[in-house]
Amino acid sequence: MPQLGESIAEATVIHLLAKPGDWVDADQDVMEVETNKATLNITSPCPGKVQKVLAKANESYPVGAVLGYLEVSDEDAARLGLDHVAPIDSEKGEQNGKAPAITEKQGVQPTVRGLPVPAHASGASYMSPRMKARMDELGLHAADLAGIAGSGAAGRVTIQDFENFLSSLEKHKLTHASSMRVAVADAMRRSWTRPLATVGLPVCIDALLAHRKQLDTKPGPALYALRALALALAENSAPAGRLIGNKIVHPPAIDIGVAVEAEDGVLVPVLRNADRRPLSEMVARYNELVALARQRRLPADATGGSIATVTNFGTFGLTWATPIPLPEQTLVLGLGAGRQAPNWDAQKNQFVPIMEANLTLSFDHRVLDGGAAGRLLARIAALMGEPEKL
Amino acid sequence: MSITYLEAIRAAQAKALADDPRVFIYGQDVGAFGGAFKATKNLSEEFPGRVLDAPISEDAMIGSAIGAAIEGMRPIIEIQFADFSTTGFNQIVNHAAAFFWRTDVPCPITVRLPCGGTSGSGPFHSQSLEALYAHYPGLIVMTPATVEDAYSMLLEAVALDDPVIFCEHKFLYYHLKAERLPSEAMPVGKARIARPGRDMTIVAYSAMVHEALAVAEELATEGTEVEVVDLRSVKPLDTDTVVASVARTGRVLCVGEAWPWGGVTAEVVARIASEGFGLLDVPPQRLNAKDTPVPYHPNLWMVHRPTARSIGMAARNLLRM
Repeated sequence: MPQLGESIAEATVIHLLAKPGDWVDADQDVMEVETNKATLNITSPCPGKVQKVLAKANESYPVGAVLGYLEVSDEDAARLGLDHVAPIDSEKGEQNGKAPAITEKQGVQPTVRGLPVPAHASGASYMSPRMKARMDELGLHAADLAGIAGSGAAGRVTIQDFENFLSSLEKHKLTHASSMRVAVADAMRRSWTRPLATVGLPVCIDALLAHRKQLDTKPGPALYALRALALALAENSAPAGRLIGNKIVHPPAIDIGVAVEAEDGVLVPVLRNADRRPLSEMVARYNELVALARQRRLPADATGGSIATVTNFGTFGLTWATPIPLPEQTLVLGLGAGRQAPNWDAQKNQFVPIMEANLTLSFDHRVLDGGAAGRLLARIAALMGEPEKL
Repeated sequence: MSITYLEAIRAAQAKALADDPRVFIYGQDVGAFGGAFKATKNLSEEFPGRVLDAPISEDAMIGSAIGAAIEGMRPIIEIQFADFSTTGFNQIVNHAAAFFWRTDVPCPITVRLPCGGTSGSGPFHSQSLEALYAHYPGLIVMTPATVEDAYSMLLEAVALDDPVIFCEHKFLYYHLKAERLPSEAMPVGKARIARPGRDMTIVAYSAMVHEALAVAEELATEGTEVEVVDLRSVKPLDTDTVVASVARTGRVLCVGEAWPWGGVTAEVVARIASEGFGLLDVPPQRLNAKDTPVPYHPNLWMVHRPTARSIGMAARNLLRM
């Protein structure tokens, strides 16, 4: 029974105009029905053969009720959206190709599930568009918000919280941060987005100090560590590789940087192909780069492109440190201050004094684990134990 | 002296009739009867032959007025309820709206639509149709919220060469009063800051402006300053004023008495999102009538359209986000 008019819920069959076995054309009248407003005809939706008539004269049927079945061609069935098998049950199913019986409810299936976007504008990590715009204006990052308590939904920092925070800063002593400071801050922030870990071990530097004494040029101990790192990486460059997606990108050349404190920050001049030349041939260049770095007069080609860095935190008197690798590097090798320490001598069956310093290796834990880091560090320590071979 | 919204509309029509001989009023029962809401009371006596009764056919009535307008007259058409204008929809949107674009001849009709409902007015005496008309290029749609705007904007509507849909609000007819009629006004196309604020913006038009102001008063006692923007005309829509308000507050709730789909609130939010995205501290919100035909039963009608209470709840939610 089709929808015959607004507010028509049912109609009474007056005359049956087609019987089983009759062939009917599209739009041919098959039944005459009467509603409370008018008498009208129900027509066939397409050409076909009347297979079965369920409706009876003088009976009333609701809109959507099955009145009969029409045998039609596959194309017509497909065109009318009825090319699936209709249930045999005459109470339900589709009649004459018109609207499905009202007892069948078909929900609309959503076509998009689980969008990978946050649905809620709340929570400590949410930054509203206005917040982002304001932070861009001030050159700030999410890390700068870490100290602000949020009064918004689920603790988010609202623009109001942010502006209040900024104006509260006026009450404090404020000094200018140099561009060097800001640059280092940005590099460290970016580096810290990775999972970093540190391993360390003590190394005896008596041999190194003796070797150094006999040289005229007296290179810093960091150069020995740098050369040992270069040779170890030349043997196996994977630990200095970078992880991009599921690929390890191996370093193209063993260029090692050395961290130099310069005024308000750190500069990292680079010794190119540090695996190719012996230590004695690198001393002059090393000393020159360190001096230039301290004066902030490094030429542009002297920095950048290094695959690992060495830092001598021992110059500050520190015995232990966990430096942070540069954001584009996986490794940073640190050398602590040397000091007299007791070492067990099995042969003499007693402690003997040695000069000892800690070597630490901080690394991006995505690229290598403690084992590989430990093996690398042990190799470096072993190489540093034979300084004449560096 | 105090003057109601309805009296202001009547006064504006009287002034229009007096100032311009091309103006006439055409509508059902506008003559001796003075109009269904008495908006033209006594005008047919004051201006004989200029206030004419029309047959019960909006199609015929609007069509005739369009014919008069393109011949140089300035008709003001009173439709008894905005809902009935849909029987003359084709005349308005396909003839009046497009006429100047197609022929270079202006069609300066003003169609007055009493919009909005009251308890018991039911689905065909309560509709707000500004979005329907705003959708068509060529029409100006005015939605005055104050007595002063009802007066000055109707005068401007008659003076404009464009076809104007003038959406009056039935609820405001007798309830809204002012001290005096204005002598000057903001031009059509400019929104008004009905109440300045700092913590959030409510954009509204017509009767909803008053509900929004009530909410602002209430929230002020809680230490929140709500800015209320009265759009005054929904077409042209004053995006600049709305976006500037969002720039000040960062939070916006747009309220309309019409249905949600494709309504004025949707248009405002879309413009804010595309032109002022970086100004938003929370997602922009809208509040409309429920997406059902306007109910007849008073209990259902009471919860169908936004009220000061439901707007207050939405505003508080917005502040908590």
